[in-house]
Amino acid sequence: MKDSFKDLTTRLVDFSGIITFFLLWEILPRIGVVDGQFIPPISEVLVALWILASDGSLFIHIAASLQRTVIGLVLAIVVAVPMGFILGGVFPALSRQLRPLFRLFGQINGFSLFPVFMLFFGIGESAKVSIIFWSTLWPVLFTTISGVQQVDPLYIKSARSIGANKFIIFRKVLLPGAAPVIFTGVRTGATIAFLLLMAAEVIGASAGLGWLIHNSAMNNIIPRLFAGVITIAALGVFITYLIDYVENSIVDWKQHAGKEN
Amino acid sequence: MEIVLDKVTASGNEKKLNIFRKVLNRVLNILHNGISIIIFLVLWEIAPRAGWVPETFITPPSLVLSTLWDLLITGVLTKHIETSMFRAVIGFILAAIVGVPLGFFLGGGFKLFERIVTPVLRLLNAVNPFSLFPVFILLFGIGEISKVAMIFWVCLWPIMLNTTTGVKNVDSLLIKSARSMGVTGKDLFFKVVLLAALPSIFHGLKTSCATAFFMLIAAEMIGASSGLGWLVFNAQTNYQIPKLFATTVTISILGLSLNYLFTVLEGRLLSWQERPAEY
Repeated sequence: MKDSFKDLTTRLVDFSGIITFFLLWEILPRIGVVDGQFIPPISEVLVALWILASDGSLFIHIAASLQRTVIGLVLAIVVAVPMGFILGGVFPALSRQLRPLFRLFGQINGFSLFPVFMLFFGIGESAKVSIIFWSTLWPVLFTTISGVQQVDPLYIKSARSIGANKFIIFRKVLLPGAAPVIFTGVRTGATIAFLLLMAAEVIGASAGLGWLIHNSAMNNIIPRLFAGVITIAALGVFITYLIDYVENSIVDWKQHAGKEN
Repeated sequence: MEIVLDKVTASGNEKKLNIFRKVLNRVLNILHNGISIIIFLVLWEIAPRAGWVPETFITPPSLVLSTLWDLLITGVLTKHIETSMFRAVIGFILAAIVGVPLGFFLGGGFKLFERIVTPVLRLLNAVNPFSLFPVFILLFGIGEISKVAMIFWVCLWPIMLNTTTGVKNVDSLLIKSARSMGVTGKDLFFKVVLLAALPSIFHGLKTSCATAFFMLIAAEMIGASSGLGWLVFNAQTNYQIPKLFATTVTISILGLSLNYLFTVLEGRLLSWQERPAEY
C-alpha cells in the first residue's frame, strides 16, 4: 500500500513539470503576459485540433505526411540493407575503398539537396520522398555495414562447424546479429528524415502537416498552427514508437537492461 | 672546417630528399583514400558532357567550379555566406551561453527541481523546430531576429539536455577521490566536474550545430531575402541550374567543414575518449 502510494507521488512529481507547463500555457496568454494573438492559450489550440479532427482534414494531412515518411523509409531500407550486407560481408575491401565517398554523401544533408531533387522530380511526391530516402539511406547503410562486420566471428565459426552453408549463416547468424545495430540506424535516419520532411512540406506541397502549418501561418489562423505543431510532435514520437515496436517484434531475443522476466 | 662543410651539404641533400619523400607519401595517401571520391568526380564530369544525363539538369563539376568562382569574385557568394554564418553562429553561441550554465545548474543542483523540469525540456526538444518557424516569424518579423531566434531555440534544448546528462553522470567516485585529496570549490568544478561532463556537453554542441545549420538553410528558403538558403531557392526558381549546384556545393562544404571542425576539436579536447567502432 505504501509502495504504490510512493509510486503515485513519484509519478506526480515527474509529471508536475509538464502539468505546470500546460497550465502556464493556458494562463499566460489569457492574462496578457504573452501575446494571445501569437501564442494562443492551449484550450484554443485544443479546440482547433478538435475541429481539424472532426472534419477529417487532420487525418488527411497526417496520412499524407506519414505516407511520404513510410515510403521513403521502406525504400531506403530495401536499398541500404542488402547493399550493406553485400558490401560489408562479401566485399569488405570495396566497402573500405568506398567509405570516404559514402561518408561524404552521408554528411550532405538531404535538405541541401532538396532543390536538386525538386529539379528532377518537380514539386510532386517524389521530391519529398527522395529527401526521406536520402536522409535514411546513409545511416542505415553505415550501420548495416558496421553491424555485419561486428557480428561475433565465434557465432559464424560455430555455425560453420555444424555444417551450415552460407545461406543459413546469413539468415540465422548475420541477419539477427546485425539487426539491433541496423535498427539504430533506422531510428537515426527516420528522425532526421521526418524533420526534413516538415521543412520540405512547408516549401512545396499542397497537403501534409508541414503544409498545414504554413497555410495556417499565411492565413493567420494561429490556433490551427499550434494544433499542427502538436500533431507533428506527436507524429514524430509515434514514428519512433512504431520503429521500436517493429524492432521488438523482430529482435525479440534482446535483453533489456534493468528489466526482469 | 671542410669536413664540416661537406657534412652540412650532404645532410642538406638528404633533407630535401626526405621532404620530397614525405610529400609524395602524403599525396599518395590522399589519392588512395580519396580514390572513390575522385572516380565519382570524374563520372560526374563525364556523364552530362557525354549525354548520359541531360546537361541542363546536371552541371558538370568544372562548370560548377567556374560558376562558384564567378560568384565569389563578384562578392555575391561571400555576402550570402556571411549572412548565413552570422545568423547560425550568433544563434548557436547564444544557445551555448544560456544552455551550458543552465544545464550545469539543473544537473548539479536540486534533484527535485531537475526531475520536474527535465520532462518539459524533453517535450520542447521533441517539437519539430521547423514547425515553429512560422511562430518565430510572427513574433519577430521577417528580419534577422526571427532566424537567430529559431537557431537559438533549435540549439538550446539539445545543449541543455546533454549538459544536464553529462553533469548528472559524472562518476561520483571521481568527485569523492578529488575531495579526498583536498580539492574543493572552484578547482573541483573546473578540474573534475567540467572535464568529466565535457564529452556529453560536446556531443550536445556538435549535434545542435549540425541541426541548426540545415534548419537555417531551410528557414532561409522560405522566410528570407538573403543568405545561402535564399540563394539556392532563388537559383531554382529562376532555373539557373549551375548557380543552384554551385550554391548547394557551397552549403555542403560549409556543413562538412563545421562538422570537421567539431570532430577535430573533439579529438584534441577529449583525447582520452575511446571511440566505438564505426563504419
